[in-house]
Amino acid sequence: MNFPSEANLRRAIALVAALGIGVATYITIADSGGGAPTCLAGGGGCETVANSSYSHIAGVNVAVFGIIGYIALFLTAFFANDLARFAGFAISLGGFGFSVYLTYLEIFKIEAICQWCVASAVLMTILFLLNATRLIGYAGTDGEVGSAEPPESEAGLA
Amino acid sequence: MSNKKEREKRREERLQEEAKVQTGDRRTKLLQFGAGAVFLVIVAVVVLIVASSGGSSGGDAQNLKEVAAVDSLVNGVPQDGMVIGDPSAKVELMEYGDLQCPVCKAYSEEILPQVIENKVKSGKARIVFHNFTIIGEQSLPAGAATLAAGEQGRGWNYLELFYRNQGEENSGYATDEFLEAVAKAAGVKNIAQWNKERKSKALTSEVEATTAQAQRYGFTGTPSFAIKGPSTNGVELLGTVSTPEEFEEAIEEAS
Repeated sequence: MNFPSEANLRRAIALVAALGIGVATYITIADSGGGAPTCLAGGGGCETVANSSYSHIAGVNVAVFGIIGYIALFLTAFFANDLARFAGFAISLGGFGFSVYLTYLEIFKIEAICQWCVASAVLMTILFLLNATRLIGYAGTDGEVGSAEPPESEAGLA
Repeated sequence: MSNKKEREKRREERLQEEAKVQTGDRRTKLLQFGAGAVFLVIVAVVVLIVASSGGSSGGDAQNLKEVAAVDSLVNGVPQDGMVIGDPSAKVELMEYGDLQCPVCKAYSEEILPQVIENKVKSGKARIVFHNFTIIGEQSLPAGAATLAAGEQGRGWNYLELFYRNQGEENSGYATDEFLEAVAKAAGVKNIAQWNKERKSKALTSEVEATTAQAQRYGFTGTPSFAIKGPSTNGVELLGTVSTPEEFEEAIEEAS
């Protein structure tokens, strides 16, 4: 089976995680003043979701957990070893599972959809697929073995 | 000499072979861990969804919904007892409802908000809620709890929040714990006072009196509506009113 080069996977992971940090940070900041993220397509979905009892866990906005997860995923893209591959897979798997649960809550419990939460769920799903491909394709290899391209320097990824 | 070279070559081959086996072992182990993690996450998500679906029928004191939505609907509108709106408004719309009634909940969520926005907030009409307890034995304590919240200026917050968190009819959800959770979330400040008043003879008698009044009007179901204004002949009963526009029209005609 032909896998994309690990360097490309790492680049993609860094890019998508950076977008995720942006989305989760926006949700956190918009919510922090007692407000809510603005739904770009109109409608009050974001306000309803932000005001629901599910938007906070132990008083902490769930988007804060998102920021932490995306930052961790961003960092795993800078290392080409098994620890980074497995950490990336495990974190994105947890994030993906949590996104599935949050989307269920939006549809069936809160009965409102917030586009920003959907955006984050999509980004986390992409990250999970990228990290799963990375783990399956390159687990047990050293450095950039199997890459179609020469190894990237860490600085080149940033 | 050639023997030595061969030995070195064989040694190198053996080391390479060992390294390959080690790498393969590490890969297998990582993939096994990965598969285990996938299994654990699937179990966790299923458990979370099953656990949270338990409260989907409402009536959950631990997890009241739409507190903010109710606040934004009624806050800033004058309230006195179970009256919402300007006390000097020309038209009075009377609702006879039962807090356990699912149709009243639907009216509260889908029809009355537009009437409140367009007619009550503009000062054209006020709405008065009266208890008409016909569903079951918990309807009376729920009704009295609402009146007690009204004594502290939070009657409509209580009413709207109760409807939005209503459980299944007569399923026994309207316990003291549920009633008190709604009171706290509705912004009732003095809970001790509220507890005392909701059990008082005065308020339970009032629930019974408005129920008797509804029966005298000939109402047979909840919610039922009546209207009073400068253009009506005293209190007029509204027939089937099922859209916000019909309510707004009735208010215009009565004013």
